[in-house]
Amino acid sequence: MTRIVLVDDHALVRAGVRGALENSFDVVGEAGDVADAVDLIVRERPDVVVCDVHLPDGTAADVISGAIARGVTTVFLALSVSDAAEDVISVIRAGARGYITKAADGTDLTDAVRRVADGDAVFSPRLAGFVLDAFSTDLKAPAADPEMDQLTAREQEVMRLLARGYAYKEIARRLTISIKTVESHASAVLRKLQLSNRNELTRWAADRRIL
Amino acid sequence: MPRLNSEDRWVGGVAAAIAHELGVQAIIIRVCFLLLATVGGWGLVLYAIGWAIFALATPDSLSSNYVPQPKAATPGHRNAAIGMITLGLILFLLRSTPAFFDDVVFPLGFVLTGMLIAWTRSGEGGMSAVVRVVAGLVFAMGGFLAFAALQVNFVDAIVSLVFGMAVVSGIVLVAAPSVVRMGRDLDHERLERIRSDERARISAHIHDSVLQTLTLIQQHGEDPARTRQLARRQERELRNWLYGTPTSTPTGLRLGPALEFAASSVEDSFDVSIAVVAVGDTNDLEPADLDALIAASKEAMANAAKHSGSNRIDVYAERRGQSIEVFVRDTGVGFDPASISQDRHGVADSIVARMQRVGGKALIHSAPGSGTEVELVMPLKQETKP
Repeated sequence: MTRIVLVDDHALVRAGVRGALENSFDVVGEAGDVADAVDLIVRERPDVVVCDVHLPDGTAADVISGAIARGVTTVFLALSVSDAAEDVISVIRAGARGYITKAADGTDLTDAVRRVADGDAVFSPRLAGFVLDAFSTDLKAPAADPEMDQLTAREQEVMRLLARGYAYKEIARRLTISIKTVESHASAVLRKLQLSNRNELTRWAADRRIL
Repeated sequence: MPRLNSEDRWVGGVAAAIAHELGVQAIIIRVCFLLLATVGGWGLVLYAIGWAIFALATPDSLSSNYVPQPKAATPGHRNAAIGMITLGLILFLLRSTPAFFDDVVFPLGFVLTGMLIAWTRSGEGGMSAVVRVVAGLVFAMGGFLAFAALQVNFVDAIVSLVFGMAVVSGIVLVAAPSVVRMGRDLDHERLERIRSDERARISAHIHDSVLQTLTLIQQHGEDPARTRQLARRQERELRNWLYGTPTSTPTGLRLGPALEFAASSVEDSFDVSIAVVAVGDTNDLEPADLDALIAASKEAMANAAKHSGSNRIDVYAERRGQSIEVFVRDTGVGFDPASISQDRHGVADSIVARMQRVGGKALIHSAPGSGTEVELVMPLKQETKP
């Protein structure tokens, strides 16, 4: 059974998330701040960490880099009420495999955890929108690494459908490709989001806040 | 300019400061000061003067964490030079110091040194502060007694002046730290007041918004639809307050915020939650076109809220090349678009006709059991090309 650690500074939220996940997964621990979370993750070595973006002593990005620095290879799913682009982008770039908002219901959450546990990427419609926006902004300079700095036509298509609220299954049906192919497109986009060294990406995220 | 060094000092750090500046050991300078002090008290006077000058030249923030960087040290000949200078000064002073210096400067030196010891700046309370004040008082009293012990027929006025000075100095040196502290307390208090004003502002806002909503939610606990609606409205309101997205006025908005605004009014009327995602936000639509696009989108959202049975609606808007596309999607019951009777105003008038009037189009994709998606396409006019 997939072992889960929950990180959120609000006990009430943790209880809610635990309730949603408990039937399908083994919730092995909870933490309320960055320091506790990193210790817990190092000790328990869970399969998936469901982590709130904003914590009293840092962000989910700190938890992820802290755990990675101590040699943990676990996957992270970021969970937040915040829709600010810079938060989303920074957490994904730190290494999270997905980002969903707390508005997601229990089924969405369970699906998302299962998917990141399988090594796939999880995009909320909003994250897909951010990705499209970030990668479609007019480049002032030519992309340094077109492989990493641009989305392929198919990847854009997948992102667009995700942003429109389609589930992977529905996307597969609509584009007449297999679900596995949809998943590999999503993972490729996530990797580009993490590895692209486009300066525009971070600046874009920061600008986005004041639109 | 030498700086006082609070780490390495015996009294005021003057000797250490000079030693550092010259690149010799502090002990040598200290010995020189002591030797000079034996000659009519000149060492004390020079020390006091040095202290006053260095103290002015040492910024407050540096006094505690200033770490001296030793200069290139060639102590050999410097030590010799300093020794010579001191010796010369002693010989000069021994020969030329008139009785006046022995009688006045020496006691005055005591008084000044006492004041300075008492008034050193690192008086953060505790034993060292007490010791300093006591030492200062002792020195000041010593100076005063030295004057009193003088049986010279000095001008009485001067004696009483010096006596007065000693008393005033005593008062100043005892009171000064408290005065300084009082100033600091005032600063601190002002900062506290600013903070508590800010806190009051925030709690007033929380009270008017979040607390009111929580009270309403408690009253409507048995009505889940109403509760969700209240919670959503409050969330949106709080989010605006925190992140400052102006969705409260529908005039002069860009597409994204305008759609958000439309979505929020549909959310308020029906028990649904609407997620709006806008990509490549634009503000170069003609106002009439934007109005039509928003109105059609809103109608599509309202239809989905009313008829689909789903409580979640996704709205996606994107600028692609020379047109703007808006998708309103639900995963509800769906319907057969061909089966809509012509007298149903909703779709025909509010969405399709409205879009056509401004040169756009509306497509409805749906089938029973597989949700509905309304696609709105609005071409951008050539002359408004950015």
